[in-house]
Order: sequence, then structure tokens, then C-alpha cells
Amino acid sequence: MKLTKLVTQPLLGLAVVGSGLLSQAMEPAKVSGPPKDAWPMTIGDYSGRRFSTLAQINDANVNSLSLAWVYRTNSGSGFTSSIKATPVLVDGILYFSVPDKVWAVDARTGHEVWNFTWTSTGGIHIGSRGVAISGNSLYFETPDCHLVALNTKDGKERWRSSICDLDQMYFGSAAPLVINNHIIAGVSGDDLDTPGYIESHDPESGKLQWRWYAHPQPGEPEAKTWPSTEAMLHGGGMTWGAYAYDPELNLLYFGTGNPQPVIAGKGREGDNLYTESIIALNPDTGKLAWYFQVSPHDTHDWDGVEAPVLIDGEIDGKPRKLLAQASRNGYFFVLDRTNGKNILSKTFAKANWAKGLDAKGQPIPNPDKMPQIDGVLVSPNQAGAANWPPPSFSPLTGLFYVNATDAYSVYYIYDNDIKPEGWGGNDHGGWSQSALRAIDYKTGEIKWSHTWEGSGGPRSGVLSTAGNLVFAADSSSNFVALDAVKGQPLWHTNLGAGMSNSPMTYELDGTQFLVVAAGDTLFGFAMLAK
Amino acid sequence: MKFPKAGAVLALTAVSWANLVAQAPPNRSTRSLPEGAGREVTQRVCGATCHGPDTIMGKGRSREQWTAVVNAMVARGAKATDAELVQIAEYLTARLGPNAVTEAPPARGSRSAPVAGRGPGPLGAGAANSHVVDDAGAERGKAVYTAECITCHGMNGRGGNETLPAGQRGPDLVRSVLVLHDRYGNEIGPFLAKDHPLRSGRKGSSLSKEQVSDLAHFLHQTVYYTLRSGPMLKVQNILTGDPKAGAAYFNGEGKCNTCHSPSGDLAGIGKKYDPPTLQTKFLFPRSVGFGRAGARTAVAKPVTVSVTLADGSVTEGVLERLDDFYVSLRDAQGQYKSFKITPQVKVVKNDPYAMHVTMLDQYTDKNIHDIVAYLESLQ
Repeated sequence: MKLTKLVTQPLLGLAVVGSGLLSQAMEPAKVSGPPKDAWPMTIGDYSGRRFSTLAQINDANVNSLSLAWVYRTNSGSGFTSSIKATPVLVDGILYFSVPDKVWAVDARTGHEVWNFTWTSTGGIHIGSRGVAISGNSLYFETPDCHLVALNTKDGKERWRSSICDLDQMYFGSAAPLVINNHIIAGVSGDDLDTPGYIESHDPESGKLQWRWYAHPQPGEPEAKTWPSTEAMLHGGGMTWGAYAYDPELNLLYFGTGNPQPVIAGKGREGDNLYTESIIALNPDTGKLAWYFQVSPHDTHDWDGVEAPVLIDGEIDGKPRKLLAQASRNGYFFVLDRTNGKNILSKTFAKANWAKGLDAKGQPIPNPDKMPQIDGVLVSPNQAGAANWPPPSFSPLTGLFYVNATDAYSVYYIYDNDIKPEGWGGNDHGGWSQSALRAIDYKTGEIKWSHTWEGSGGPRSGVLSTAGNLVFAADSSSNFVALDAVKGQPLWHTNLGAGMSNSPMTYELDGTQFLVVAAGDTLFGFAMLAK
Repeated sequence: MKFPKAGAVLALTAVSWANLVAQAPPNRSTRSLPEGAGREVTQRVCGATCHGPDTIMGKGRSREQWTAVVNAMVARGAKATDAELVQIAEYLTARLGPNAVTEAPPARGSRSAPVAGRGPGPLGAGAANSHVVDDAGAERGKAVYTAECITCHGMNGRGGNETLPAGQRGPDLVRSVLVLHDRYGNEIGPFLAKDHPLRSGRKGSSLSKEQVSDLAHFLHQTVYYTLRSGPMLKVQNILTGDPKAGAAYFNGEGKCNTCHSPSGDLAGIGKKYDPPTLQTKFLFPRSVGFGRAGARTAVAKPVTVSVTLADGSVTEGVLERLDDFYVSLRDAQGQYKSFKITPQVKVVKNDPYAMHVTMLDQYTDKNIHDIVAYLESLQ
């Protein structure tokens, strides 16, 4: 079978006329996004910006948005059936997943084309964050440690390939990413002290092409960030977040998770590279190009896996290739994505755990705010200031939109052994308050913040569009459209359950659709009135 | 990592060990929560966005541990009323607590399948056919471990420490892939039978089939206890503060005495609740908690709201829900009402714990521990 290559557009593409309603202060920008009639990967396009050039639905008419269709998966009792995946749209069909299940649904009508059920042999069923499509194949991960290829035509299995060992408490949850003839797949697992890694498989055979471990090799300078080889080889750094790619630089970007043991860090003194780092790899070889550590020696379970967003922007009047991340630890980072050099590190939510920044722009953890036997009050809490629900960047407004949570909890050490294992502690109690925040990527300044009422706010992914709109969720199960420049809500509808994925949009037959999931149901909205 | 040399003929072949292995239990993704009061609310609240049942199927968390879990989940966005949270904590303690009986593990040396139970890790981690621990077997296995393994592999199976001569520094057994892949001794048995040295000076091959089976139960139990729900995984001593400094803060900088009094609402509070509960409750008054004799902490006071409409009419009550578009409440008669929010409508929220939220930005950790020591002294 010949693979058809995905449409890959350069990050900077054709000029698109905005909705005409954009504020006068905004520079007319050259922007690109996914093709109008496709959303070829969960992250939208390789930049991971989750920005659409479509403007048929815009700030002037969003109140005319209609419900076009509803697709209920009926895949269970609410347990493990929550749709966390942003659907992928190729040739008029939406593809999405929950743990052990995949669906193909007509993007025009919500009619089911096929569904696939995997027979599980275990693993944590916390979520499936989406599928990848290349040519006539669909790729997804299962909780029981498999990367699986299906035929997009009928959902029949093509091949399966093992990506991890269930007995070591690994599991699969991430959305794979296709880069040329590589299927990039990461692993999850936070219960035993095992090393994280990311790997690449052949799209045709499923064979392993390369594997990159989230730790240095013994003897390398970075190995000095661990007290011993044993600690290093059991040091965590899982790769369950979103990935991004720059075709010009040929670099794959992703973040790594927390070090292990998770909370009790006594047996792993040092910075613990390459955990909690933003990583750039060559996708052909799996070789490390650069790294930047967002949380040296993390002891708060603040996986640094939040979606990396590639921005082609300007710093001090010069065009720069940038990467931005709103990290779980409360810091917003902007890096030069050619070399990983830090441009900006600034908090975007309450964070009381760092003493300042080091010469590389990395936060310096305050030992007094590491977990203690008698408890220590820390912000953010374990769930973080941000988490896996992805942010969005609009090249039209120059703003980075993220669901931010101000939170406190108390972190305890349970296990005072000289060699703690597993977790060895946890956080208790807590207070939290969430807000949708718009950050100026050049300064880190919060241009606007819209607070969501209610505690323990939404886990909301974000979409921004050329219609001067940002789509997000509140704490009361509302799906909300806000003005991208000013931040006030313009439209909402109650989905009956909290939004569980990140919205996406596309245009078919001249109609712009907007698709979002809440629990086990997929909703298709559209601008039906002409 | 050095393995002992394989020397003697295997006393038991891998095949006969495999006979001890049960057939796979049913697919765990079909497992469901045990029956009992509170099951439905637990399923609804906890399954709303995040988890499968296997996430909370870990057996053996105490009430204290389950309460901590429930409070942590509220902070992460779980939506439930105070009463529901207590119901959930009580259900989990009763059905998935240390004394809860799940399906029986296989009898010693039995060849029948374990149905389910304390196999896969507490979060559903691991394989569906993971080793299911027999607690009695693990207890006997602990004695075997103490007699024969503890010198080289350490108190907790985490490997010999660096003071031991290299030849006696056994590897970490909790992280051992061989142990993790083992089922009922099918890997551990043959490995020990390869002349593995024992503390008694005997050879590993001299261990009986039952001893190996018990040892396997103990090692797997140690692995599961290392995950997130072992009996030791709880708050230890937190009474590190100075009660005098706590009193000074209470009556001074903290201004706690504006609303509270040691002879009034806080009289005997130290008798009622243990220190971890006191610490969680004063920092986060909306947490649910249990006292020393299982007594519930006081129910949190609700947020109230007043809604003033364009015509000047005012409605007050307990806040039910508030978002950018609508506000709903229950009035003094218990009647539910909701209102559309417009620029002409004034909504004023009153959270009786607003000051506790403000204080989170101000306490030092020393203040916190001093306050707990002071509250504990109010016997």
C-alpha cells in the first residue's frame, strides 16, 4: 500500500482575511491553520496552535449557532467512556476514541460509519487522547500497552505492536503523531519507578524504528543530575502529553512527566534530567537536539507534558521561531525552538514553590516547599495550574489562551525511608479557582482573565478562530464562546456534562461546523442559517 | 546486577510452577464497584469525567485515607454536595477498606482461578491477570522473607544498602522485572531453585513449594503497598508546631479570634479531631472529615446569595449554581428559583469562608503547624 502523505502546510501560509470585525489595533497578520475541510491531527496542525482560519462563525453571528447533530457513543456508565480525544477529520469522516474503543462518524450528519472495540488485558483506563491518521490507516494506543493500526475504510485491525510492559505498571493513553513514515507513540505510568520513553513505529508493519529514553546514558554530563545509575534508570519522565513538529527544522517537540518516586524525592537528589523537560528530537533518528527543564527536581507531580505550541512570532522586532508552554507548575515558558534557549519564564497562576529563575530561565525549587512529614502549603495543587487539556494560540490576536487554575493543597511525605519508592506521599485537601486567561506571548502579561464561577473549575481545552472567537468550557457544563480580544462571553449552551475534550472546527459544503464532546456524547454545531 | 550462578538441577521445572498459576480472571475493564449503600453516588460523581472503576478498586484504604482521596478529588473538580461526599467516603471505607472482603484469593497451591480482588494495583495499574494476593499467605511469606532474604534485600525489599559488602548487596525486589512478571511463584520459584543463596546457609532449592508460594504473595503485596494504597501510606506525625506561638497568631496577626473562640465554637476541638483532620479543616473548611471516634466534622456552611432584579426586588437564599448566564438558589422556604443574569441584575455572593481563602496567601508553614498545635491543645 502506498502512503499518501498528510497535507502539511508551512506554519506561515497564505494571508487570510479576518472577519473584518477585528479590533483596529490588530496588525493584519499572515496566518495559516488546518485545511478548511480537514482537521488532520488531534492538535489541528503540526504547530499545535488549535487555531482555525474559518470565520463563517464569528463574533457578530455566533448567537445564530445551531445544534446540527448529536452522536452518543453509549459506551458505558460514565466510567472510562468520557471522550477526551479531539476528533480527527479526514475526507468528511470524524475519527475519535475512548479507552479500548474507536469510532468513525460522518462529519456532516453525525451518522456512525463504523466502530471498533479492543479486547483489553489491563492497564489504567483513565483516557484515550485521540487517534492519528495517515493514508488509509488509523493509529491509536490502548491502556494495555499496544499501538494499533486500523483500516480507515471499515475499522478492521491491520496490526498491533507492543509499546510497554503492563507488569511494570505502564499503560497507553496518548494520541500518536504521524511524521512522514514515523508513528510517534509515548507511554504513561506513575505507580512504580520505571523510566519514561517515546518511540517511533513503522506505519506499514508496526515495527519499532527507534526509542528515546527520558534519561541520559551513564557517563554523560546530564547523568550527574541523579545520585546513582539505579535512581536514574527508575526515574520516570512519561510522555503522555501532546506532541508538535516543525517540518522546516525537522524537529519533534514534547514534554516529559514527573520524576519517580513521585512525591518523596529523597532518593533522587539533583535536577533529574530529562524528566519535567521540553524536548526536541530528530524524528528520523530519535536523537536529542535540545532540552529545557521546566521543573528541576519536581516533587509535586507536575508533569511537564502540557501541549507545546509553536509560534512564528516576533521578539524585539525580529521574526523568531518560538515554542510556548503553559506548564502544570504555574509557569508560562517561551523558548527559541531552534535551540531551546529561554526567552520568557513567567507565572500565569498562583505558584509559591520557586525561589526565582536560574541562568537558563528555569525555576529554582524552594526546598521549604517540597513535601514535608508535617505538611506544606503549596500552590498550585497536584492537578496543576494547567494540565493536559490543550491551550490555543491565535496569530490574529497574538494571544495564548489557557484554562488556568489558582490552587492550594498540602503536600505530605508518608515514607521517610532513605529510599522511598512509588509515591511516598501525596497532597491533601485543597482550594481552587479557574479562569480562562489570555497571555501576550511576547511579555507573559495576562491581557485578560475570565474567572469561572464555582470551585474545582473546568478541565477545558481551548480553540481559537479567525472569527475573533475563543471556545472553552466553564464549571457548570456550559460550552462558551468568548470575544478573543476582550474576553467577554458572547454565546453559550449547556451540554449537560462538562466538556471533556478540546473543540475543533471545519467547513464542509460551505457550512462551518464546530464539534465538542461532553462525557460520552459528541455534539456538532453549525452555522446553518444563511 | 549480579545473579547467583545457575548450578544445581532445578528441583522444579518452570512448567510445574506454571501449574500453580490460575487462569486469567475476567477482563478488568468490565469490573464494577461492589454493591452497597453509596455505590450509585460514587459511580456518578467519580465516574463523571475521570475514572474507570478500576481506578478506585484498590482494597485496603482506611477511612482516613479514603477521606483524603475524596477531598483531593473535590479540589480537582469533582462535583458533589457535602452529604454526597460523606456518603462516598463511607461507601469506600465500608466496601474497599482494610477489612473489606473481596472475592477470595486462590487457596494455597490451588489451581483454580482467582475471580478478581487484590490483584492489579490500586489504580487499575498492571495486567488483568496480575497476581492476586492472599493476605494470609503474604503474612506467612513475610516470615520466610525475614528468615532467608532480609539481610541482602533489605527491610522493605528495596535492596541491600551500601554498607553491605558487594556480594551481599541484593537488588531491589520491588523494582525487579522478574518479580513483576511472576505469577504465584512461577518465576520466583525457578529462579530461587538455581542455587540462590539463603540467609540460613541453605540453597534456594530447599524451599518448599508452599514457602515459595507464600514468598510470592509477600513480594507482590510489597509491590502493591508501594503503589498508592498501602497501609503505611498516610500522614505521619504532624504535631511539630508551638501551641503558644499558635495562640499568639490566633489572637494576633491571624485575627482568627474575630470569628472563633477557644471557649466557644472551638471548645474541646482537640479532643474531637486528630491533628491531620484539624490541619485540613482549618485550611480548607469545605473538606469533609472524620474525628477521633469516626465523628463527622461539622457540615460546611453554604454559600448564600442575594439577587436584585431590575425592578429592585431582592431574593436571597442558599446558592445552588452560578455561572455567567444564570443564578439559582433555594430560599428560606426551600423553594428553588433561578434568574437570568443581565447588566441590570445584581448578584452578591456571600461565602462564610472567604477569609479562609484569603488567608491561604498569607500563612507561613510555621503559622500552620503552630495553629494545629494550638487547636490540638484545646482539649
